[in-house]
Amino acid sequence: MLRDRLQRCVLALILCCLLPGFSVDRAAAAEKDTLVVGMELSYPPFEMTDTSGKPSGVSVDLALELGKSLGKKVVIENTAFDGLIPALKTGKIDLIISSMTATGERAKSIDFSDPYLSTGLCLLVKKGALVTGIKDLDRPGRTVAVKKGTTGHTFAAGNIRRARLLVLDKESAAVLEVVQGKADAFIYDQMSVYQNWQRNRTTTTALLVPFQKESWAVGVRKGNDVLRMKVNAFLKEFRAKGGFERLGDRYLKEQKEAFKRLGYPFYL
Amino acid sequence: MSSFFFKLLFDQRSGRDETVPLLPLLLGWLLALLLVALVFTFAFQQLQYGWNWSAVLAYRLKFLQGWLMTVAISAAALCTSLIIGLTAALARRCPFLPARSLGTLYVELIRGTPLLVQILIFFYVVADAFGITDRYLVGVLTLSLFSGAYISEIIRSGIESVGESQLESARAIGLTGWQTYRYIVFPQVLRRLLPPLAGQFASIIKDSSLLSIIAVSEFTLNAQEVNAFTYSTLESYLPLAAGYLLLTLPVSLASRALERKYRYAT
Amino acid sequence: MRLDLCGLEKWYGSQAALQGITETIADFQALAIIGPSGGGKTTLLRLIAGLEIPDRGTLAIDGEQLLFNREALLRHRQGIGMVFQAFNLFSHLTALDNITLPLEKVHGYSPAEARVHAMDLLERFQLSSHAAKKPAELSGGQQQRVAIVRAIAIRPRFLLFDEPTSALDPEMTAEVLEVIEELRHEGRHLIMATHHIGFARQVADYCLFVSGGAVTEAGPSSELFRHPRTAALQNFLAKVLKY
Repeated sequence: MLRDRLQRCVLALILCCLLPGFSVDRAAAAEKDTLVVGMELSYPPFEMTDTSGKPSGVSVDLALELGKSLGKKVVIENTAFDGLIPALKTGKIDLIISSMTATGERAKSIDFSDPYLSTGLCLLVKKGALVTGIKDLDRPGRTVAVKKGTTGHTFAAGNIRRARLLVLDKESAAVLEVVQGKADAFIYDQMSVYQNWQRNRTTTTALLVPFQKESWAVGVRKGNDVLRMKVNAFLKEFRAKGGFERLGDRYLKEQKEAFKRLGYPFYL
Repeated sequence: MSSFFFKLLFDQRSGRDETVPLLPLLLGWLLALLLVALVFTFAFQQLQYGWNWSAVLAYRLKFLQGWLMTVAISAAALCTSLIIGLTAALARRCPFLPARSLGTLYVELIRGTPLLVQILIFFYVVADAFGITDRYLVGVLTLSLFSGAYISEIIRSGIESVGESQLESARAIGLTGWQTYRYIVFPQVLRRLLPPLAGQFASIIKDSSLLSIIAVSEFTLNAQEVNAFTYSTLESYLPLAAGYLLLTLPVSLASRALERKYRYAT
Repeated sequence: MRLDLCGLEKWYGSQAALQGITETIADFQALAIIGPSGGGKTTLLRLIAGLEIPDRGTLAIDGEQLLFNREALLRHRQGIGMVFQAFNLFSHLTALDNITLPLEKVHGYSPAEARVHAMDLLERFQLSSHAAKKPAELSGGQQQRVAIVRAIAIRPRFLLFDEPTSALDPEMTAEVLEVIEELRHEGRHLIMATHHIGFARQVADYCLFVSGGAVTEAGPSSELFRHPRTAALQNFLAKVLKY
């Protein structure tokens, strides 16, 4: 019994000695030649993985181009969406390029670059739900699904008082709720609502006119103005050179054409 | 000199029934807590974390609602899992062979798969097929089925651990099979069961956090939502951990008290 | 009492624990069954107790045949008292409850009657101070004595003892043997399997020597021990009485 206790004490001491080795010197991060970009790789076609498991998508390409222009190697960190801001705050990642909307609330915790895409909140509605707009949803007996930490979630928390709110971890779970009829609608961004509707045409309909306009931007740590300026400069140049046009053609060709047909503006 | 420290820091009782003297006991606890506090302080310093408790404080009602929901779900799941566990344990001991096989199948399947997987399958596949839409009901049932498998094993080994000699004694004094079960087996099993059952209750409380995955608004999900609104991760999750400890610590203390009470030679 | 054994056989798998025992003991008060371990004395005792059913043969006590069906055996067991080698008492009940349980649940006593009767007996055997204790709090000797009280409380036809002192140290052995001797003097009928030759000699009036699954020798104990006829018994006694 004595030996056990002794062994445990020694183990604790060793662990304590190892801890300093885990610290990272934050000040030296700016001089590093790698740029750690955080995104949640479950948001096609902006953030996803290809069949071999490598990150791919609009945001990935954007990040890689940014890296090229800054002369740094880019490492993509796959992080849950609602963990991106904490990861940025604690220095685990240097940038957020994850189709994240710039909101006033988020701007209290981090800084945003200039917006690079305009979109808005739309509804993926279950078939036969008789929902014509967001106002139809805030009624008792209705159920609304949102994804945790998104602007849809924030909107619902502030504006949906009488309906039941379902907060899901994953986009796929929220879509499943609508498909199975457990939720009347899923509040999400326009692009994804369109895509999910395409994949579930028999069980869902989509209301693609945004009821709340939003724009996406790149996130940097608060006070990191140097990096922010560099990102803004890059975005301006990338757009001028037609970079976004190319990304749109590469990943969003179908959406571009569909939106044109439906008469919705497509902003990339 | 060294023997002084020895006495102060080491357990030197000769028998199991004496209690550790107070000063060494307190000193031991103090040093352990100090070590943990040091580790955490060091970790937080390295993070350069900007604490923001006021944002989270504004959501305290949300925390409370989630906590109460967890208590309700855990209590309901405990009762239901006791019934399921008892049924399964008896089924595995009954002479009707299909019942025995069904019981074994249930226990092996449930114990061999992760609870998360079971929650997803039961909610999105099974419950949907049977048309049960209330996710709180499905959540409690899934948790009960999960815990019931472990409880059935606890009960079964409890029954089997009642010594042959006790059963023989019962026969010798002329008790019928039913009387033996009621007056000899059942009381002995019950006393043996209480400690592990209390442990199982603590497990249910902690496992209920997984129900957040199907948007059951229990404690963990509520804390996660607060985190999503305030971006104050640690300020949301530390109270979350404390809230669970508030529930599980009394249970584990009760379990140890029960163990001590019913510890007697058989 | 009278015991008639006719062709009793008991097999465990391919092993014969008892091989066709036929014996009549016309009139005895205390019967001792002695013999080497594994020789069959415990098996014989368990048959008489109604805890096992023989594969062949019949058994009659006081002229009444023991029927080997569940109900008959249950009733038989309810009318006799048995004390085992160890772990007789129910570990979750106090000494008093151990005695009142069969009284209340098997013999229909009211709780008050059972309590009074049990306490009387405990007093008689100087165990009343232990009434509220659980078996784990009692010494081996005290446990066995409580077990004996439980056996006699139900006013049994006769008592059975299966090596009641084998698990006890010499001092506790003595206290238990004293009790058994007292019961003998009260006039109760006993059948006991034992290792204590000296005790058997003193207390029993008839004795069976069982070895190899058969009754090798039988007779009144006064003669058996003084003039063992078979070589087996002679060897056995020599070995046992050596120390």
